[in-house]
Parts: sequence; C-alpha cells; structure tokens
Amino acid sequence: MGKLNPQNLSRGDKIRIGLLILVLILPFFPFISDYMLHIIILIFLYMILALGLNIVPGFNGLLDLGYVGFYGIGAYTSGLLTFHFGLSYWVIIPLAFMNGAIWGILLGAPTLRLTGDYFAIVTFGFSELVVLFLTNEIWLTRGPLGLPGIAPPSIDLSLFGGPKWEFVGELPYYYLAIVMVLITVFVMHRIQDSRLGRAWFAIRDDETAAVSCGINLLNYKVIAFAISAAFGAVGGSFFARWVTFLSPDMFKFWESFLVLCMIVLGGMGNIWGVMIGAVVLVSLSEVLRELLPLLGLPVNVRFLAFGLIMVLMMRFRPAGLMPIPAVAAKMKAGQVKRKRGPATAELKTGLKK
Amino acid sequence: MFLQQLVNGLIIGGIYAMIAVGYTMIYGVVQLINFAHGEIYMLGAFFAVTFISFLGLPFYVAFLLAMICCAICGMLLDVVAYRPLRNSPRLAALITAIGMSIFLQNLAMIIWGSRPKPFPHGAVPAYFEKTAVTFGGVNLSWFHLFIFGLTMAMMIGLNLIIKKTRWGKAMRAVAQNKTMAALAGINVNRVITYTFALAGALGGMAGILVSAYYNSLYPTMGYVAGVKAFAAAVLGGIGSVPGAMLGGVVLGVAEALGAGYLSSLYRDGISYAVMIIVIIFIPAGLFGKLIKETKKSM
Repeated sequence: MGKLNPQNLSRGDKIRIGLLILVLILPFFPFISDYMLHIIILIFLYMILALGLNIVPGFNGLLDLGYVGFYGIGAYTSGLLTFHFGLSYWVIIPLAFMNGAIWGILLGAPTLRLTGDYFAIVTFGFSELVVLFLTNEIWLTRGPLGLPGIAPPSIDLSLFGGPKWEFVGELPYYYLAIVMVLITVFVMHRIQDSRLGRAWFAIRDDETAAVSCGINLLNYKVIAFAISAAFGAVGGSFFARWVTFLSPDMFKFWESFLVLCMIVLGGMGNIWGVMIGAVVLVSLSEVLRELLPLLGLPVNVRFLAFGLIMVLMMRFRPAGLMPIPAVAAKMKAGQVKRKRGPATAELKTGLKK
Repeated sequence: MFLQQLVNGLIIGGIYAMIAVGYTMIYGVVQLINFAHGEIYMLGAFFAVTFISFLGLPFYVAFLLAMICCAICGMLLDVVAYRPLRNSPRLAALITAIGMSIFLQNLAMIIWGSRPKPFPHGAVPAYFEKTAVTFGGVNLSWFHLFIFGLTMAMMIGLNLIIKKTRWGKAMRAVAQNKTMAALAGINVNRVITYTFALAGALGGMAGILVSAYYNSLYPTMGYVAGVKAFAAAVLGGIGSVPGAMLGGVVLGVAEALGAGYLSSLYRDGISYAVMIIVIIFIPAGLFGKLIKETKKSM
C-alpha cells in the first residue's frame, strides 16, 4: 500500500480521501443535529446491507428477494444474545456473521441449483417464514411485543485495567458505522479482484462458458449467497444494538425491496454505485416520510416512488446510474429497438449491392 | 368439523386456482413470474366495490365490469412494462415485475386509502346468505355454490379455450417457441397481450369473490394471495394449466386443514413451506416439465 505519497494518488483516490475526511469531521459541524446524524447512520447501515446484497444480483446475476430474512436473523441473534446472555457486541459481530452464513448455506445449497426465477421466489418465501417465526415463537422472541431494552455496546478495557465506555448518543454509533462500512468496502474490493470474484463475474456473464472453464457453479453461488447473507446479518446485529428495540414488523418484504432498489439505482455490481444508491434512497425515503403526512397520505406510500424508480431504471438505464460495462452490455443486448438500428440499415445497403 | 374445514379449503382452493392459472399462463408464454398479478387481483376487488358504491351498479354488472377493467389492466401492464423488455435478461424483467407490483399496490393505497374496507352492505344478492344444501352437518350457502360453480366453469372453459380454439392453439405455439410461432404467421405480441388480459380477468374475478366472501378488502391483499397462488402454480408445475388448478385446490385444502388441526398461527406459513419444499425436491411440480433456461439469462 506504499503509495500514500500525495503525488502518486489518482484523482479518484483524492476524492475518496477527501470524502472520508469530510465524513469523519461531519458531526462537528454546527448544523448537524442529532436527527441528521441518525439519518446518516441509517445511510451507513443501508450501505452495508446494499453492499452485502450486491454480491448476489450484482456479482452473480441472481435475484435475491429475501435479504431481509438474513438481516432479521442477524438482528435477533444480536438482540437475543444481548438480552439473555449479555454478550459483548464485539463477540456478537462474528457470531452474527457466522449465523447469517450458516443460514445462507442451508438455504442456498439446495436452491441455487435451480434457475434464477425459482431461486428468487424461494428466498422470498424464506424471508416471509423468518418473519412468521419471529412473530409466533413468543417464548423466544416475545413475538409482536418486540424485544426492548437491548443494551447498547460498550468498549470495556477493565480487563487490562482501562476504563469502560458505554455508547451514549449517536456519535459513537456514527464512528462504529463508519468503521463497519470501511471494512465492508475493503472486503468487497478484495473479493472483487480475487479469484472468487472473477469466478462470480464469469458466472454472471455466461454460465455455460464459466462451467466449461472448470468453475463449479453451485459451490461459487453458495459461497456468494453465504457471504451476502453474513453481511446482512452483521448489518442486522448493528441495527439491534443501535435502536435497542426489535419487533418482527421491522423485517418485512419492504426492506428487501428498498435494498434491492438501491442496487438497481446505483448500478448492479458497482461498489461505489451501490453506496450512492443507498445515500440517494435513504435520503429520499426520509424526505418523503416528512412530506407525505403533509399531503394526508400514509407514510408507506413512499414505496410508490421506489417501485417507479425500479421500473424506469430497467426500461431506460438497466445497468444503473453508474453502470459496469459488462452488465450494461448484457442488459442492452436484449432491448427491443423501436428505431431501425444501424444493423438493419447495413443489411439493406448490403442487399442493394 | 372435518367436513366443514374440507369445504372451506375447497372453496378457497378454487379461488387460489383462479389466480394460479394466471401466473402459469403468463409464465407459459413469456417465461416471466408476473409478481404484479396479485395486484390485479386486488384491483379487481376495488374496481367492483367502486362500481357498486359510487355508480350504484347491481352486483353482477359490477362483477363483469370489474373483470373487464382487470383484463385491460393486465394488457396495459404487458404493453407498458414488459413488452419493451421482452428480449432483456430475465433479471431485468423480474425486477420490473416487482417494481410494478409495489407501484400498483401503493397507487391503490393513494386512491382508496390503506385501511381495510368492508364489502358494501347489501351489495351481494340477499339469497347468497341463505343455505342451499345441507349434508353431513355442513351448511352450504348459495354463495358457496356460486363460487364453486364459477371455479368449475373457469376450469372447463379455460381448458376448452386452450385445447379447442384457434387462439388457444396460438397460445400453445407461442409457449413452445416464439420464433417458430412468428414464422407460422402468429402475431406473438398480440397473443401475449391477450394472455395477460385473460389472466387479469380471472385474477380480478378471484379478487371480487374473496373480498365479498370475507367481507373485507385492503390494498395489500394481493401480496399474500399472490404468493399463495404462486405456490399453487409451483406445486402444480409452473406452465401447466391443469397443474395450477389442482395445485390451488390442494393448497387450499392443506391450508384449511393445517390451520384447523396444526397451528392457525402458521396459516400463511403452510403455503410458503409447501412452495419451498416443492421447489427443492420436485422442482417440476406435479404436472410440469422441468424448466431449462432457453436463452442466456443473468
């Protein structure tokens, strides 16, 4: 990494470092209220979720409609372990990661050998079952009453004779979220450029060609699904310790839809695009949440806008605002052309000769 | 008690079958899971109630008009949303379908409000409530018989349309191979749009019947019903019309008996579980052929 010399940095790197510094000092600007800080943390949380989900539709080209199931599993793993055993959050993160991955493997291994449509619908059914389980197994989750009073995380150095910091207010969560986003982005970048990532892209671009290169489709897809599920669960574990209250209603299909919409908007497979999608949609969602009651409409109507965004994006910019060339080429290839394309014109002139 | 549950299951199963054939027919011709189909079902109920309460139309007229409106909605859905993406990767069409589903659901919420509504009082003909037949301690009202009759008529009629008419023949041809169908002089796009219309009309009919039967309708009703009907279509083997009918009835009965004897809390879970198990163990369903991806898809 020895290129921190300012002369060696490309323009993109400079922008990124600038952004990072801006984000780090952002809470100290006077105009940032606690509410705004809360929204920014929400944006970071959705960035983690969107980056995690991105692996499945973006890197592998499969539709996952049940992402919120893993998010819920992670949240309840974190909530219940804190509630019953008082485990430290730093222990819970790897546990939630593993629990998410296990469920990803359990669900993915039998279903990923099927075609994409079936996979989409199975993941959807799975997330609905998770919500039903959380609602009905009252002995474990307290059901619709919700799980209140989850202790906030703390940094405990008393073992080494140090002090113990409890997380109070939004500020510590803000920095924790930044660290988690940075780790997620770093992992995604490394995966993208690894053997694993290249195998995924091969699968996304052409399954038949990938198989003939000796890529084991099922293995790679299950790994992708498990990693994606694990990041969803980590996002959920953060969510549980942050809002300190969980109820099954928080994990309905809407959440999956919102995260999917971020990916579609930002650009499937593009790490930066997906993060920008999260920024845009969480902000839009919050603005609409304020505006809609003024118009006398229920808050959930904001999903009208998200539905419309999805349809319009698929129609006009199917690869997203920041498209990846491979995805863009694939999505464009099939579009029905209204105008007479250059190909037909060429054919005509060819026939005249 | 058992018989009563069985009858309830058969009635609801018939309605699931009506929605499920829509999924299966559309899947047959365009290989697309039309997630917005549940929303057409919901719109059917709302159209009927609007016609009855605002225009004061009698039940049967409103019923027919609502079905026609749903058919038009189905056609619009195809022309506006799906036709431009006909040759795109499956992923694009699926995402559009989900987007349309969410869009329509929230549009209904804006137009009609998000609270559950009752079916207008006195709109359903009075004799529907009266008992028509009693056997083995089970009372069947005229409404039960009406639903049952419509289900049977739908099953027989649909089979006749698909097997005997020119249009049904065209539909089967398009389902087999679009290019060859087009070469044989079939207007593929028109056949697909008509299929959407037929599926929409049946879905709308199911929506009206359910909202009148349970005396309630709300904008999110299409969501659960849509998934259950899809489960029925999967159970029967997606792409197979008789399979979807059987799947719907089996699922309805399983749900009624499961809710009655196992756990009513997991009533909705039964269809999800059936769907997942069927997809994992017998993905071809009871009657279907295993789907192979015909073109390169994402």
